[in-house]
Amino acid sequence: MNWNFSTGVFQCRLPVAGDDNNALLSLLGKQNQLNHIPRLALENMDQVEDELRRMVMRFENREAAFWLIEGQYDQQVFARISIQKINWMMLSAQLQWELTPECTLDTLQAVLPDLLSFIFTELGLHRLELRLVKGSLYEGWPEQLGFSAEGVLPQQQEFEGKDVDLAVYSRLATD
Amino acid sequence: MRFTPELPFDGGRLKPLQSEDTAALFALYQQPELPGQKPLQDESQIGRLIDLSVQMAATQRGIMWAIESDGEVCGILSGFDWQASQLRIMLRADGLPVLSDEHRAAAIKAAVDFLIEKYHLRNFGYQWVSGQNESIPGLLGTLGFERCAVLRDAWRTGDREFADIHQFHFISTAEKPQPKKLGDDDNPGQNLDRDVNHGGTH
Repeated sequence: MNWNFSTGVFQCRLPVAGDDNNALLSLLGKQNQLNHIPRLALENMDQVEDELRRMVMRFENREAAFWLIEGQYDQQVFARISIQKINWMMLSAQLQWELTPECTLDTLQAVLPDLLSFIFTELGLHRLELRLVKGSLYEGWPEQLGFSAEGVLPQQQEFEGKDVDLAVYSRLATD
Repeated sequence: MRFTPELPFDGGRLKPLQSEDTAALFALYQQPELPGQKPLQDESQIGRLIDLSVQMAATQRGIMWAIESDGEVCGILSGFDWQASQLRIMLRADGLPVLSDEHRAAAIKAAVDFLIEKYHLRNFGYQWVSGQNESIPGLLGTLGFERCAVLRDAWRTGDREFADIHQFHFISTAEKPQPKKLGDDDNPGQNLDRDVNHGGTH
């Protein structure tokens, strides 16, 4: 199975340790690009290498898959999109993204259809879930990407001293 | 060491899964309440279930009780997806048709009260799967649970068949524990034979 593929003028590919350290730092090194998950930003290259190593291990166990999205021509990475918590018994997974400011809703609308097709058709998953911090930067985006709002889960984690509610969205293979 | 206590409630009690209840637990799993769940074929699987229930409680990953009502084991109360550092857990109570709503509710309340008191958990989720006993959502409401989300097709019942999960939450108003230094409490993990030293002298 080929996990790398092109979608229009973009390329979705698995990350490469050693080559993608700077790109990953540009995505995961800025707190405002992570507040929707939420998680703390990475601060140095050791953390980036550790993140890359964990991405590889989780992919090898098929519990997660991570794609870096870049322009076909300029090869500038502008997004990491992943499926995590893959549950092969329930045929479900959680979608997560980290985006640079250059990645707009229009860009995601161009990238996601092929990615979703791969997830539902090639991987055979049925339910893809997206959890965003309530009131995050990306509120309103899931619906425009074809996801349905399912509710808000209260106080799912504590982040920087505050209880965080997560809005849940889903897209089904049959939608 | 004990990890799962007996908890009495009006009309019954919660008790840890024990080998002496193997036959009753096996009978329970012949009438699974969960949509899509197949009856257990082999009674020896209950032994494995009991072992796992001890291991889960010992490592704060989950907790399981048998629900005893009027002297008979007629249900199982499970706590799973236990996130100790996030102070939350997911619950589900599965029972035989003879388990009354009153006793199911009392069993859930006894477990919640214990988990608040012993482990300071604050966020209790409950997953009700479409097709389960229709009275459970109303029963959860009486316990302070609110329906927060309906997770479409999140429960697989067949090859390509699915059911919705209705997720409820109850948030305890108890104060969060204050972080302390290791050793401030003489409370070695979850050993129920030891108690927290509230005296402040060590």
